[in-house]
Amino acid sequence: MSRITALIAISLAGLASCAPQASTQPVTAAPVTHPDFSGFWNLDTRVPRDEALMKQVAPNTAFIDDTGPKEFPAGDFGGLKLKPAALEAVGKWNPYNQLTPDNACKPPSIVYAMQGPFPIEIFQSEKFIVIKLEYYDMVRLIFLDGRRPESDFPDSDVGFSSGHWEGSTLVVETTHLEPATITNNGLDHTADVRVLERFKLSPDGQTLLATQEFEDPAILDNRGVRFIAWRKQAGQHVFPYECDPGFAGNYSQPAPDKKPAAKHPARSEPPN
Amino acid sequence: MRRPGATLAALVLTLTCGCAFAHHSFAVFFDTDSQLRKITGVVKEFRFTNPHGVVTLAVVEGNHEVIWRAETNSPSILRRRGWSPDSLHVGDRITIEGWPARDGSKYLRMRAATRANGEPIGTAPTPVQEK
Repeated sequence: MSRITALIAISLAGLASCAPQASTQPVTAAPVTHPDFSGFWNLDTRVPRDEALMKQVAPNTAFIDDTGPKEFPAGDFGGLKLKPAALEAVGKWNPYNQLTPDNACKPPSIVYAMQGPFPIEIFQSEKFIVIKLEYYDMVRLIFLDGRRPESDFPDSDVGFSSGHWEGSTLVVETTHLEPATITNNGLDHTADVRVLERFKLSPDGQTLLATQEFEDPAILDNRGVRFIAWRKQAGQHVFPYECDPGFAGNYSQPAPDKKPAAKHPARSEPPN
Repeated sequence: MRRPGATLAALVLTLTCGCAFAHHSFAVFFDTDSQLRKITGVVKEFRFTNPHGVVTLAVVEGNHEVIWRAETNSPSILRRRGWSPDSLHVGDRITIEGWPARDGSKYLRMRAATRANGEPIGTAPTPVQEK
């Protein structure tokens, strides 16, 4: 058992042990039961968009079709409308900056990480949900008890997430994210980005369906939404990622005339 | 806004920080428009660590031996396709198929690899496993 998994297990066990004993509680109503998202989930881009979830997306939102293996080439942001300052910033983007020893193992924020082609594992209780991403060993904690972040809560790559149930749909709002990439081609969100996710199960319980909306008025004139789906696979766990910064040694800053082109003629398809 | 007065500072930070992260863009560095390239050579080194493994191959081109390197998918994904740190050893003769680097260097993004006897190393990627 990895250290992170052990910590999650200990946390969930501690939470259970702190719960009031059933014998001391008056019975006032039947317990509320929510869908159980627990388990190992592998991304599956073949799942059709869930129209009921998509109908809940706010107006002025572009559908960002880069979930999974797809990637936008430089200069293509999938319908996001960049403000002038953001356009200027992406024009100065140097992809080789991703490949220095200092940056080689820097994770993205959940804005980019959730749609990556890596599995996730979910641990669920009534008071919080843990999502462990294989990608960069990221661990999200989603509070379900209504708490809000302290005034000095720091920004991070997973931010502060608060969730609630709307029927059988889990609605999660995340703030306090460190600036990081949105589309992995030079467009970064600010620390004021706000992410709204909706998660629900397919009728057979074997597919986890989600929308990820984000808004960042400092850099975008519209909003973005991704559709993400994962298939359940029994008996598996996410693997440790344990990033090796030595990978950066395979790349060195080229002469200016050898740098990758700023724009490519067509969108890149998955490398299959 | 959650922190009054901080928005401008956050924007300035974002637009000037060069918020790079490690997972470099496949689309920017590799050419999917051109033909897949195959190279055959002898393994000189095999690193099997995230974010990408790297195979270093000695390849004979004309009368010279040149060094090629091939970047693999994330090893944590490759493990589910049958790869491990023991999949390759120094001295193994293999063929790697992959996408060439856009900068023209002797560097590939590996799609598949086979041993000298034609046996595939691991299994082929599925549509949701590459990035």
